[in-house]
Amino acid sequence: MTSTHYLDQFLFAILPYMVLITFLPVTIQRYRARGFTYSSLSSQFLENQQHFWSLVPFHYGILVITAGHIAAFFLPQQLLAWNAKPVRLYVLEISALIFAILSLVGLCAALVRRFTTSKVRRVTTTRDWILFGLLAVQIASGIGVAIFHPWGSSWFAATLTPYLWSLVRLNPNLAAVSAMPWLVKFHIVNAYLVIGYFPFTRLVHVLVIPNPYLWRKPQVVRWYRRPAEAAPKA
Amino acid sequence: MARRKRRGSLFLGRKKISRPLCVITYVLLAAGAGRAQEAADFFRQNCVSCHTVGGGRLTGPDLKNVTARKDREWLIEFLQSPQAMMDKGDPYALKLQQEARGVVMPTISGMSKERAQALLAMLDAESKLPKSQFAGMQISDRPFTAYDVAQGAAIFRGDRGLANGGPACLSCHTVKSVSEFGGGRLGPDLTRVYERLQGRKNMAAWLFAPATPTMSSVFRQHALKPEEILPLVAFFEDAARRGGQDESAARLNFFLLGLGGAILGLVAMDAAWKRRFRNVRRALVESARRRER
Repeated sequence: MTSTHYLDQFLFAILPYMVLITFLPVTIQRYRARGFTYSSLSSQFLENQQHFWSLVPFHYGILVITAGHIAAFFLPQQLLAWNAKPVRLYVLEISALIFAILSLVGLCAALVRRFTTSKVRRVTTTRDWILFGLLAVQIASGIGVAIFHPWGSSWFAATLTPYLWSLVRLNPNLAAVSAMPWLVKFHIVNAYLVIGYFPFTRLVHVLVIPNPYLWRKPQVVRWYRRPAEAAPKA
Repeated sequence: MARRKRRGSLFLGRKKISRPLCVITYVLLAAGAGRAQEAADFFRQNCVSCHTVGGGRLTGPDLKNVTARKDREWLIEFLQSPQAMMDKGDPYALKLQQEARGVVMPTISGMSKERAQALLAMLDAESKLPKSQFAGMQISDRPFTAYDVAQGAAIFRGDRGLANGGPACLSCHTVKSVSEFGGGRLGPDLTRVYERLQGRKNMAAWLFAPATPTMSSVFRQHALKPEEILPLVAFFEDAARRGGQDESAARLNFFLLGLGGAILGLVAMDAAWKRRFRNVRRALVESARRRER
């Protein structure tokens, strides 16, 4: 047994459970004890010029990339079937890279805005800076993996999805993950850190966005005012 | 009383065997068979890419009658840590390395003294058989055709799916000039793998039971079929002969396409939210100016 072996055991078989044990109870406890802190703590009101270039690219980018990772976890065979044709594989990989770059651009814009706008900087806590740092490292390492170790959409489905499912089954199988290049391991470990840090940050807002909009019945909204064309002329 | 005695015993020919003894014998036989099967499975997963039993030499020696060639204690020590034996300067270990053209047998994960003993017992039993189950994959000696190479390329790229559902080689490996953006870079570049593994027999043995942790974890469940291995070997032989161009340009093109797409995305977002609220004061000034006009 080498020190690398013990390190792998800790990072890929123990850390994920430590993270989950933190994530679930703290998320629930925070909602029960301090439900009003479940907010993105938007600073749009303080500065609205640069805000667009951080908000929109980051959110569209990160949502698509996260959805891709979740799809690879739940539907690995379907993903491999899609990637069976090289053209389709390239389309998927280039699309994923586009959204990853968009999310990095958005995050960089957010960092610049928080550094340069004094009002926004004043409302940014140390906890926020740590979160931004973790997210920046996560997205940058993901882009690095996409460029230096392609084609992740295929090999993730073939090697890391079974590893993640082995964690779910409480029987960690580190055979594939132990042999991964250091950049891939770094990306995975940082993802665990983000999940572990999640309940202490403003990231919790993803759990309380108006999710019922997706399945509730449509509502007719009526404004209590006259239409513009019918309004009396001054 | 007599009936009770008969119930508690079995008759084998004229000999009477008590039932407890029978059960113990059965349990011991079952445990022995289980150990042998476990050793065979372990050998299949970790050893057959470099060794056969009666099928001739691959990267490592043919292990038929290995315990007759070298004493058991030495073999058990070597199996547990081949590199340590090399480092000690053991003459027989160094001879094996020389015969393998410098390749050092890796330390196999999960190899213990008990497992090494079980493996040697299994090798003894396999050596006595007319044909061992580990005689190795028999790949045809016929010259490869252009059709074999084309089929191998189709399997490598993924155009022809693997029968057992394994991922295409392109997911993790590249071979120079194989496609527009090249192959994957998780595993090594396979352009010269045919030369590295020294020919079709070793190449076929490797593909039959890949030994690296990543490959074995994937292909243990999705083994390649013999009819897929031959065209792949043909493809790798052809790739080694042809060589190819450096693929760094393909990687740069991939990145530039991603960057270009992201810039287009930003332009599209700006256009989609053209009438977004930008500033309280600017909106007030613009509406005042409009009123003035």
